[in-house]
This record gives sequence, structure tokens and C-alpha cells, in this order.
Amino acid sequence: MRTKVFNLFVFSFLFSTAFSQQNFTVSGDLKDSSNGETLIGATIRVLESKNSVTWSNQYGFYSLTLPIGEYTLMYSYTGFESKRVSINLTKNTLLNIQISPKIIFAKELTIKGEREDKNIRSTEMSRIEISSEKVKSLPVIFGEPDILKAITLLPGIKSGGEGSTGFYVRGGGPDQNLILMDEAVVYNPSHLFGFLSVFNTDAIKNVELIKGGMPANYGGRLSSILNVNMREGNNQKYQFNGGIGLIASRFTAEGPIKKNKSSFLLSGRRTYIDYLVKPFLPEQAKGSGYYFYDLNFKMNYILGQKDKLFVSGYFGRDIFNFSSPINKDVFFNFGWGNSSATIRWNHIFNSRLFSNTCVIYNDYNLFNDFTFGNSKFSVRSGLKDWNIKSDFSLNLNQKHRIMFGFNYTFHTFIPGVASGNAGTITINEELSKQYAHESAVYILDEWQINQRWSVNAGLRGVLFNRVGPYTLSQYDDNGQKTGVETKWESGESIALYPRLEPRLNLTYIINDQSSIKSSYTLTYQFLHLATTSGAQFPFDLWLPSSAKIRPQEAQQYAIGYFRNLDNNSYEGSVEAYYKPMLNQIEFKPFSRLFFNANLENEMVFGKGLSYGLEFLLRKKVGRFNGWIGYTWSKATRQFDELNNGQEYYYRYDRTHDISVVLSYKFNDKWSGNFVFVFGTGNATTLPVARYAYRIGFDQKENKPIFTFIDVYDKVNSFRLPDYHRADISATYISKKTQKWESSWNFSIYNVYNRANPYFIYFLPDIDKLEVKAYMVYLFPILPSVSWNFKF
Amino acid sequence: MIKKTTYLILTLITSTVILSCEKEIEISIPASQSQYVVEASINTRFPFLNYVFITNTVDYFKPDLSLNGVKNALVFITPGIIFGSDTIFNDTDRIQLIAIDTLAKLIPALDSLIGSFSGVYMNPILLQGKENTPYRLDITLMDGTKILGRTTIPKIVPIDSFSYRKEKVINRKEIQAFLTFWITDGPEKNNYRMAVRNYTDSILYGWGAADFYRTFDDELLNNGVRPFMFSNSWDEGDTVNIYFSQIGRKEFLFWQSFGQAANNGGPFATPGSVKSNITSHPSNSVIGSFTGYALDFKQIILK
Repeated sequence: MRTKVFNLFVFSFLFSTAFSQQNFTVSGDLKDSSNGETLIGATIRVLESKNSVTWSNQYGFYSLTLPIGEYTLMYSYTGFESKRVSINLTKNTLLNIQISPKIIFAKELTIKGEREDKNIRSTEMSRIEISSEKVKSLPVIFGEPDILKAITLLPGIKSGGEGSTGFYVRGGGPDQNLILMDEAVVYNPSHLFGFLSVFNTDAIKNVELIKGGMPANYGGRLSSILNVNMREGNNQKYQFNGGIGLIASRFTAEGPIKKNKSSFLLSGRRTYIDYLVKPFLPEQAKGSGYYFYDLNFKMNYILGQKDKLFVSGYFGRDIFNFSSPINKDVFFNFGWGNSSATIRWNHIFNSRLFSNTCVIYNDYNLFNDFTFGNSKFSVRSGLKDWNIKSDFSLNLNQKHRIMFGFNYTFHTFIPGVASGNAGTITINEELSKQYAHESAVYILDEWQINQRWSVNAGLRGVLFNRVGPYTLSQYDDNGQKTGVETKWESGESIALYPRLEPRLNLTYIINDQSSIKSSYTLTYQFLHLATTSGAQFPFDLWLPSSAKIRPQEAQQYAIGYFRNLDNNSYEGSVEAYYKPMLNQIEFKPFSRLFFNANLENEMVFGKGLSYGLEFLLRKKVGRFNGWIGYTWSKATRQFDELNNGQEYYYRYDRTHDISVVLSYKFNDKWSGNFVFVFGTGNATTLPVARYAYRIGFDQKENKPIFTFIDVYDKVNSFRLPDYHRADISATYISKKTQKWESSWNFSIYNVYNRANPYFIYFLPDIDKLEVKAYMVYLFPILPSVSWNFKF
Repeated sequence: MIKKTTYLILTLITSTVILSCEKEIEISIPASQSQYVVEASINTRFPFLNYVFITNTVDYFKPDLSLNGVKNALVFITPGIIFGSDTIFNDTDRIQLIAIDTLAKLIPALDSLIGSFSGVYMNPILLQGKENTPYRLDITLMDGTKILGRTTIPKIVPIDSFSYRKEKVINRKEIQAFLTFWITDGPEKNNYRMAVRNYTDSILYGWGAADFYRTFDDELLNNGVRPFMFSNSWDEGDTVNIYFSQIGRKEFLFWQSFGQAANNGGPFATPGSVKSNITSHPSNSVIGSFTGYALDFKQIILK
């Protein structure tokens, strides 16, 4: 299979270069005229040739190679006036275009009513985009819009649970999603223990999720790519906007550094839960509190016609302090956060060759400081990356676009550093750091074979090299060090994994309104999240592959039928997927993840399987828009050491999953949204028996005392009750002038007050001789309001 | 005004989120296969804490919440001798443990325990644990099931000293006392289990009678004088009994997993099992532990 894909790729490359001499290329940037922001995924169509169409890339750049001649190009993007431009293509031409949002009256060659048909014609499948404006309009908890919660409303993507930002794509785990913010990996995307994500919607331009048919320029995770693009900042005028919610507020400043040349964006967000709660705390606990904050920063410079430079960064922290209200000697300080910095350079070598080069630094760390009287402890863990990558896009001719590039990351894993003192004992313990080089090269070809068939074939070669210095201690079966150690010198290879990842997407266009697409991907994952819970917590650790921890592996086969209706106003699709996975990781029950040098021996390794059918009907334009999604799926796991070796349902297996998102614009002031979700209850493991243990006789109360311990049987053999709820929201634009804009967002989460299960627990009542089951649910009907402004 | 609004918002949020977050549900759980459960302990100080309790697992919603003790078992504990890497148990040294119902006729102090503790076997007259000594547990049940356990009482690590300070704490009527004690942890690998009981009588009738427990090892804090500071407090005048033991590694793993199983609740509960250190024939029919405690004891009156 892999050889065939490679041969196909080489053939297509040679074929295309041989016939590319008579062509010229028109290329350039596509931007929003109101603020200079680049437009991602806009359609550029040649009206004289039905099949000549392309889309602006992640950086707003487009390139079309055509035979010499006169053409009319149509630029269109949802929510914007389309623009028609006539050109006489006799040489390679640079054509930067600006289009206007629909509320602004368009000039000259603008026409209305054109719709996009990217979903029909592109070779991509299983890819969904959602704008930050859409995210902001959806009903929310506590007035905080959230990108990660919004994407769980799309088919094939499941929420980690009530109020959770964790998401699961096509039966994969939460660590199998590659989350990128301006190309920097986000290792922990959550604040507030998973209730909110780190993404401040004011700083975000759009979000793209690839859940299947992953192109060769992406890798490193099995299940999905979540690409979050930050806004660049208004390069026309200074602008300020923000919002005040029930638990957090945010503020963004942006503007030109030099008009049309460079701009900046600075955005911040902070919660005030700590201030709200403080009046209710006893005097001695005033030092307790929780808050988080985010800072997003971006600057871009247009260095010339061919060069653009971007500098962006993110810094976020969650801080939790606890000061014992009883014992003043007990203090606890716990925090975690991501920081990243990206320097990105876009260069146009010529009208056919575009490049994007990035240098990225990334740091995720966690700290715990404990004070117990005179004893003090400090524990730190984390992960640091240095990453350099280059992506090239070469338009060979009308039919071929080649993309190639490399990606190199140096990972440093810090599993735990402890220091402090207790009595005469001084602690200065450091778990051996772990180092790894992860390198990848890729090449892919988008080839339009004829008017009906097109292919996107790619190959990604990856080399993962875990290197020293490292000291591995041997442990006995009882978890104690034997004293035997294996040492690796600096740079010495501990585990080397070369892997090839073929990717193939095929598209057959039936007619202007419908197409069939299929894809095959093979992906490997070398970084693994050590977690024992379903959600991603700050104290979860990322680990590299080793001699014992083999790379996770997934193959995905997908096929889909895509159909547009009513001049592309409606998009419909049905996709089927089948995804077997190898080397999946689970932890033995009661494993200790934190500061455990013996973590590898707490792991078990097994297989996973996921398959399903996804339906989506989406209306993208008009007063009334939204989507209805339905997924039927099954996800299982099999581990020799768990469930007596028998296959069991994955915790987030959800047979039926429905989401309905409807938006209606009543007039210029009022708009409304409705969301309904339904999901089969999560698979869960419940106790089947119990026993009394640790017995005693209470002389004070004159009665026996003991502790009940639960006995569990089959893994995930029970189902929690089905999850469903409806939310509504309304946005009222209270003022909108050239200088000042303000709006209110009113939300009601869970309008019919459905008690959705968060977890179940049992309570034995010894006096009444009965055991009762209780279900805990988090959010009843929950109204919220937020105020947003812009000036 | 702002403060009032803030209070109102906060009250609304907390009342809706907290007050309405739980309800009773009906759930159907199938019958399970019963297993024997054994809790066995031997220590160096208190004969009443040397006992074997045998019970069964019961179906989850079975209305019988009693201890469900197993009667008519033959229970023996045999001390052993270590010769180099070998451990020798001589059957002539074995001590039979007697059902508490029978024993109460000989020891009137146990009379109040009859009824509550059927399935408990002990021999406070003959059975006394010693430091650095291995012990074997043999149980034969009426249905022919044989249960075997082994433990070793390690060296006692004594409580070196203690101190406490007293202070007035908000919302507490009585003056509160905050207690710290110290031990000297040696260079070897040590595993500890501590039980603490606030009561004037120093005798603990069963390990379950303590107020709280800690199980820990010296992986991070090894070889030195080590303090234990209690984060909670006691009222001035309380009597605090500290039962501080060194235990073996397998016993540590059992009690560590027991602690996790006993506090295993909430949304991220792990469906795990305790790490038993006893076996049975037929196999897989028993859960539990045989633990040897090298026990030191301190009674502290917080005057």
C-alpha cells in the first residue's frame, strides 16, 4: 500500500513538471478591507473555467496557475461581498485583493449571491471551520464563549462531559488531538480544571478542525488537528474591544504600527472568582483563592511585496492558593500554564512558490508549593519544546500543487523536580529529565486528474529519537528500586523510531452540487499523556516514547458523500470512517502519576477500534443559518491486563450523538441562537458488590464501625443516562456607530433544566439497611449575561 | 451598590449550581459471584489488635449491611524463623485463633462485641507479635476453601518526641492544639502505617476504631529525623493516641490501595481493586491482607 502511494506521487510530480511550461501564475494575499486581516479559506474561482478554483491558505495567500489568456477571477468568502477582477495573464502576476464585509456597500465590481462550494470540490474531507464570531454568538455558561465547547457541537466530536473543554474525535483519546495556536502546540488547553479553554475568543480569528484525511503536512497525533489562528490586528485604525462576563472579563487593543504595513494585537483576560468569593471567606482563609489569566500578543510586519514577518505569543496561568482556615501553618500554592512564542516568516519566492517558516518556543509547566509549619516542599514538572518548521507550496500548473516541508522539534520533558526541607531531611530530588528529537519531512501533491477526479497524495517521514542523558532505575514487582541503573550519555539514542506515514485523499465530482471523497491515513504518535481520568488535568504528564512505550499508531479509512443545495446555500454530507489503533495506553488502577520515576511500569498497552457514520446538514448563509449533525458510532478498547483481556467500550463511546445549532437574525439589533444536543450516556464502570473491612468497635458510640469497599467487575459495562439539553441565547446590539459598538449577550444554558449525569455514587445507610444511588449533575438551568464593546 | 450586586450574582450562581446538583436514581446491577474477604493483623504491642476477620462480598444493593462474618473456620497463625534466605515455619508452633463468640465466655470484656463481630477470630492470651519475625496464616473454611497468608513484622521505628502549640481559632469555642511528632527514619527502605484516635482509653478494639489513618513510605524523605505535623487540630484537653507502625512492602501496597479504594468517589473515580497479599485454593476466591505491625504507641494529653 505504502509503495503504491509513493509511486503514484512520484508519477504525478514528473507528469506535471513536463507540461507546465506554457502557464503563468496569478497569486497574492486576500484580506478584509475593513481591518487588513487575512482571510483564510476564501474561494478564488476562474469564471471561464468551471474546474479552475483554489482557496486561500492558512496565511491568506492564494495562487492559481493558468494558461496564457484573459480571465475573470471571482473572490468570495462567507459574510463578505464577492469581488470580480478581470486580468490578462501574460506573465506571472501578483494580485493582492481586499474584499469588504457585507455591511459595507461594495464598490465597483462586487456582486452578491455567490456561494462557496469548497466542500464539494476540494480534496479535503472531514475538515470543519468555525469562526470566532460564530463561537461568540452561541449560548454559554457564565457568559464565557468557548471555542473548544463550540467544536463539540460538530459531528464526530464528543465532549469530555458536562461543562468540559475536553474533546474526543472519532473514538480517540484527548491526547490524540494536536492543538495548535498560531502553530505552537498547546499541551494543556484548559483553564479552571477543564471548564474553560485557554482560547480567548477576542484574540482568535478562526478555528479549523481536521478529524480525518489528515494531510501530510500535519502529524504527531492520531485523531485530529485543531488549528487555532490568532487575529493579526487592525492595520487601518486603532480599535479596542472587550467583554464583561459573570466570572471573567477581557480586553483587546489593536491597531496599525504603520498603516497598511504593520499592526499589533494585545489581548488579555482574567477571572475574578477570587475577588467574588473573598468576602465570604473566614479571616484566616483570606489567602485562599483561584484565578486564571491569559495574555495574547501578535505583531506583523509587511517587509516588502514578498515578505511578511509575524511575532506572536501566549502566556496563561491558573493559580490556586489555599490557606487553611483552621491551621495558619498550612499553606498551599498550586499553578500551571502554557507559554509560547512564535516567529513566523512568509516568503513568496515567485508567484508559484510560497513558504512559511516558523521558530517556536513552547513551555508548559506546573508548580506546587506546600508549607506545613517549618516544612516546605516545592514540586515542579513540565515540558519544553524548541521547534523549527518550514512549509513550501509550489503551484506547478493548473492541475498540480506540491507542498513539502520539514518540521523539527527538540522536546525536554521534566517529570518532576522536588525541593524543600522537613526536619533534618533536605529534599533535593529530581526525576531524570527526558529528551527527544522529533523530525519530519513531508511532500504532498494536490492533483486534479481530470474534470471529475482529483487526488491529494502525500507521504510523511518521521524520525523520533529519544536520547540521553538519562538514568533508568530498575524497580522490583513491589515498586521499590533494586539499585540497578542503566545510564545513557548525552545524545546517546535510547529508542529510535523511523516511521513512514502515507496519506491519500481521492475526490470524484459527480456534478456541480455533489461529490464523493475517500481518504486513507496512517499516523503515529510519539508523545503520550499520562492520565487516569477522562478529562485532561493540569497534573497529567506528557511522556515520550521509549523502549517500552511504543509509538501509538492509527489507520483511518473514510468515505463521504457531499451534496450542496440551493446554489450552495445548504451543505450536506454523510461520512463513514473505520479507525483501528495500536499501542494504546492505559494506567493500572490507582497508579500514581505525580512524581513517579516508575511510571512506565504502571502502564498497560492495548488496541482500540472506532467506526461510525456522520451526517451533517448545514446552512451557512442567510438570516436563518446553522447546522444539524448526527453521528452513529462505536469505540472500543482491548488490553490483555484489563477486563480479563476482553474488549470493552471506550469511556466516550457514544452510539448516538445529535447536535442542532440554529441562528436567526431578527433585525439589525436582535439575533438569536438555539442549541440542542443529545448523546448516548457514557460507558462507565460501576461496583457490582461490596464488603466490610477495617473493622472496629467504637467505645464512645458503643457500636461497630467498618468501611465498605466496592468490588468492580467488567470495565465500562454500564451506561450513564443519556445526555441532552437545549440552550438559547440572544444578542442585542445596543449601539452601533462608526466610533462605538456595544452589545449584550443573554444566555440560558439548559433551558428545560435537564439533570445530566456528571457521575453516580452510592451511599449505604447502615441504620436503614439500604443502599441508595445518587446522580450528581453540574448545571441546572443557568442564565448568564455578558456585555461586549468595541471602540 | 456594586457589592450588593456582586453578592446577588454570586448567590444566584452558587444557589443554582450547588443546591440543585444531586438526585436519587434507580439503577439495576446484576448479581455477582461471592468472594471471601480476610482482614488479618498481628502486632508487637496490643493483643486485642491481633485478629482475623473473615467475611464475604455481597451484592451491591442487598439490604444486608451487617458484617456478614464467616463462622466455623479453622484459623491458625504460625511464627517462623529466618535462616538466611529461607523462612521456616514449624506446625508445632502454630497458635489457633478462636471465634469471638467462644472467646467471650472466657474473657468477659469481649462480651459486648458478640453479635457485632461474628467472623472475628483472635487469641489475646497466646498470640503476641515480635519484631523481625515472619508469620504464616492458615484458614480452612467449611466449604473446603483454604486461605494462606504471610507477613513479617519488621523493626519498630519509635516516635522520638512530640510537641504541640495551642491557639484560639475562629469559629471554634475551645482552644485548639496543633500536634507535631518526630521519628528517625533509617537509611533502609521503610514503609509506615499510622492510626490516630482521640479517646481516653488507649486500647483500640480493631483498627477500624481509629479516627484517621496514613500510609506512606520514605521514597522522598529518607534517612533523617522526620517530622509529622497534623493539619487538623484537637480541642485543648483531648487525649490523642498515636499508633505508629512499620509494615512490610506488600502490606504497604495493600493499605495504600485500600486507602484509595476507600476514598474512591467523585467523577474521576478509578474502578480499582485492593492489592491483596493473601491467596486461596481454589484461586481468586479471596480478597484481603495479613499485616504485621511493628507498633510504637504514644498517648498525648493536650493539656
